[in-house]
Amino acid sequence: MELEELQSAWTKMSNELDQQKKLTNKIILDMTKQKYQNKFTTITKYESLGALVCFAIALFVIFNFNKLDTWYLQACGAFTLLFLIVLPVSVLSTLKKIKNIDILKGSYKENLKVYVHTKNRLLRLQQIGIVVGFIGLFFIIPVTSKIISNKNVFLNSLKTEQIITLTITLVAMAFFCNWAYKGYKKITQSAQELLQDLE
Amino acid sequence: MQKEVVFTNLIREHQGLLYKVTSIYTDNKEDQEDLFQEVIFQLWKYFDSFRNDAKITTWMYRVAMNTSITFIKKKKRRPDSVPVAEVFINESDTHDEVYEERLRLLYQHLKHLNTLEKGLIFLLLEGKSYNEIAQITGLSASNVGTKISRVKKKLKTNMTNK
Repeated sequence: MELEELQSAWTKMSNELDQQKKLTNKIILDMTKQKYQNKFTTITKYESLGALVCFAIALFVIFNFNKLDTWYLQACGAFTLLFLIVLPVSVLSTLKKIKNIDILKGSYKENLKVYVHTKNRLLRLQQIGIVVGFIGLFFIIPVTSKIISNKNVFLNSLKTEQIITLTITLVAMAFFCNWAYKGYKKITQSAQELLQDLE
Repeated sequence: MQKEVVFTNLIREHQGLLYKVTSIYTDNKEDQEDLFQEVIFQLWKYFDSFRNDAKITTWMYRVAMNTSITFIKKKKRRPDSVPVAEVFINESDTHDEVYEERLRLLYQHLKHLNTLEKGLIFLLLEGKSYNEIAQITGLSASNVGTKISRVKKKLKTNMTNK
């Protein structure tokens, strides 16, 4: 198979397409006039919902912060708040940046660059989110335990079933982190190649 | 009203172009229809800002290709999308097995290119000159030449290996 043969197949398809005028005025106008949902709306909807849950938990922690009566519980509370506020805000602002790419203003090259950069940032944030979530377990558990049941986990020894649950969670999280990292590495590598190509 | 007439005529005239752009950036019919709809939406949105200092098709290529960059595949189809499936293109009227096989192979090879390479080879297949490709993509004409010969080589290697 030669390139010329592919070119001739493409030209033949183009000619056929030129003869097929199947779209009607009504269909075209329907596409332009209906309240068309941007493809990002669905994505940002889930992200926004996730962010709302995080903010709600953050508010709960803020309102009950006075229950954290030792410096280490307060430190855990501060880290928990940081995790619950900073990460969702960063993800949402990155999604907004992708959404706001000006299709008309930038050239294909420029928009592709912005898109790949922003997508990389989003992937990195998701990666950070997984790792921070993993570490965050060690901060969130003492905070929620103190606020909800008034128990200081640092002073109470863990029961056997709690140790088992925690171990299983940690092992599962470690596998998940490793899997996510491999996927991330693969995507960013191809994105990097594309960016080099754009230079 | 006048604007709508001009726009619909334009889309009807160049629907083949939009079909082709959307076909190279998607992997299945459903995604293609969604992207097709998104492209028409964007063309309509920016229609007022089209200036006659560029060819209308150059402008259309640009909007369509820029829209395709940020297209994200969805797992679920939106319930409110216009059902274009029944009017959507397009099996050949005449059954030509060689042609169909070539077309299938062409798409198969295109899928293995990255977004930039895909865009460049698409415009080349469309018969655009290096200058026109440069105008649409924002690359310099000489850069277009270099990159296209690299993509051609890559395609050729892929085809030989198959």
